[in-house]
Amino acid sequence: MDLDTALTGIVAIARHSFKKLIFSRKAVITLLITVFVAAVMGYAGSQDVDPLPDGTDMLDTLILFFFMPVMAMIYGASLIRDEIDDKSITHVATAPLDRSFSYLGYYISLALAVVVSMIIVNTAGFFAFFAQNDLGSEAMEVYLEFTVLVTVGAFVYSALFLAVGVMLKKPVFFGLVYAFIWEGFIGSLPGAIQKVSVKYYLRSVGSDWVDYGRMSGFDEALGPLASGLVLVGLLVFFVMFGAYLFRETELA
Amino acid sequence: MNTPADARTSVMEAQALSKWYGEVIGLNNFSLDIRHGITGIVGPNGAGKSTLFKLALGLIKPSTGTISVLGQKPWKNPGIHSSIGFCPDYESLPSDSTGREYLSLVGGLHAMKGAALSGRIAEVSRLVEMDRALDRKIGGYSKGMKQRMKIAGALLHDPEILILDEPLSGTDPLVRRDIIDLVKRLNKENGHDVVVSSHVLFEIERLTHDVVLIYKGRAVATGDISEIRDLIDKHPHNIVIEGEGIGGLAKAILDEGFTVSVSFNEGRTGITVQVSRPDDFFSRLPELMERSGGSVTKMYSLDDNLEAIFRYLVGR
Repeated sequence: MDLDTALTGIVAIARHSFKKLIFSRKAVITLLITVFVAAVMGYAGSQDVDPLPDGTDMLDTLILFFFMPVMAMIYGASLIRDEIDDKSITHVATAPLDRSFSYLGYYISLALAVVVSMIIVNTAGFFAFFAQNDLGSEAMEVYLEFTVLVTVGAFVYSALFLAVGVMLKKPVFFGLVYAFIWEGFIGSLPGAIQKVSVKYYLRSVGSDWVDYGRMSGFDEALGPLASGLVLVGLLVFFVMFGAYLFRETELA
Repeated sequence: MNTPADARTSVMEAQALSKWYGEVIGLNNFSLDIRHGITGIVGPNGAGKSTLFKLALGLIKPSTGTISVLGQKPWKNPGIHSSIGFCPDYESLPSDSTGREYLSLVGGLHAMKGAALSGRIAEVSRLVEMDRALDRKIGGYSKGMKQRMKIAGALLHDPEILILDEPLSGTDPLVRRDIIDLVKRLNKENGHDVVVSSHVLFEIERLTHDVVLIYKGRAVATGDISEIRDLIDKHPHNIVIEGEGIGGLAKAILDEGFTVSVSFNEGRTGITVQVSRPDDFFSRLPELMERSGGSVTKMYSLDDNLEAIFRYLVGR
C-alpha cells in the first residue's frame, strides 16, 4: 500500500469521524459541561478569592483532572465500539486500507474532537472566573498553560479510551471506573502509587510551568522532560496497542 | 470494469471451510467454486450466507479450511478490497450524512479524490438512479433508496466482483424489479461478476441460473437452477387441493402411479396429496378432474418455502 493511499484513507476517516463527534448528540454533553463549568467557576470567582492561586486550582481540579478524562472517555470509548456494534464500520472494514491506518484516522478525529471540546470548556471556565477578578498577563499565562496541558492530556486520554473501546465490548463501564476511581483516586494518593496514573505525569509537567496554586507546589513531581517522554510513550503505546487489537478483531 | 472474464478461473473458492462462533456453527466443511457471471447464494435465514460473505471479505477468519477471492486469501489482506464491492444486508449507512458525503467517504477510503472522485460519484449515482437524492440526508431515504445507495458505495471503486447480501430483502415489488434489472445490467454491460444472496429461490431465478444452495452451514447443491429443480422434483411433494367433488378426484389421484398418499383435510373441503413426480401430477391433473367430475378452486404446494426444499435435499 502506497503512502498516498494510506493518507487519503486516514484523512477520509478522520474528517468523517470528527464531524460525527462534533455534531453528534454527544456535543450536547460538551455544551452542558461548558455551562456547568462556567456556572461553578463564575460563582467561585464572585466570592472572596485570591484570584491566581484559587483560579488555577479550579482549572486544575475541575477541568484538567475531572472533565478532561471524562470527556475523552465519553467520546473515545464508544467511537469505534458503536460502529462495530451497529455495523456501520463495514465501509471502513471493507476498504483497501490496513486497519492500523484506519485506526489512526479514528484516533486523530477523536483527539481533535476532545481537544476542541476541552478548549471550549477551559476557555469558558477561565473567563467565567478570571473576568471577575484579574485578566492580566499572569492570568493569561495560566490560561495558555492550561490550554497546552488540556491539549496534551486530550491526546493521551483519547489514545487510552479509544483502545479500551476496541478491547472491551462494554467499554463505558470500564471507562467510568478508570476515569473516576483510577485517575481520580489512585492518581491523587501520595507516594509511588500515583505514578501509575496519567494524571501524575500531567501534574509533573504542569508543576514546571504553572506558578500558582497546588500544582506549582507539587513536590513529588518527576522532571518535565521525563514526564513528557512518559506521556508521549503512553500515547504511542496506547495507539499501537489499539491499532493491533483493531487489526486482530473479527467484525462479525 | 470491462475486463474480459476468463470463465475458467474462480471468482471465489472455498475448500473444507468451517466457521464456528463458540458452539454455534456458521459454516461447516463448506466447499464451493464460483465462476464469472452472476451467482446466487440461496438459503433460509441462518443458513450461513452472511458468514460466507464475511469470510470472503476478511471480516472474520476461518476456523478451519480455506477461502480465496480472485486467488487471494481475504483475512488480513486489505488490498483485496480494491477488487470487491460489498453491499451488506443490514443498515450500514451513516444516517446523519448525505448520499454525497457517504460516497465521498467511501471514495476516500479507496484513495479516490478531487475531480476524479466527484466525477465517479456523479456517474455511479446516475447508474443507480440516485443522482437527484445525492444531497439529501440518508436518514430520510426509503428502504429502496438506501439499497441503491449501498450498491452505489459498493460500485464506486469499480470493483471486479460485487457481493450483494440480500439486496432485495424488505423492498417492495417495484424496487425489487429495478434492483434485479440493475444487477443484470452491472454484469452484462459493466462486466462486474456478481455474487448475490437471497432466501427466496424465485428471486434468484430472475437474476441467474447459477446457484449455490446453503442449508445449516453446508452447500447442499450447486449448479444450474434447473438441475437443482430436477433434484428437488425427485422428492415427494405435498400439494393441497380444495374444491367441489373432491372425493372423486381423490380416488382418481390415488389410482395414479406417482401418488404416494392422499389424505382428507379437516372439514373434508380439501385433500393433501403427496406425489413422487410433481411434473407428472400437474400434467395429469386436468384429465383426472374431467374424469372424476371434480373442480378445483384452490391449489398450492406446501413445499414452496425454501426450508422444506432444503429438508428434502439433506434427506430429512
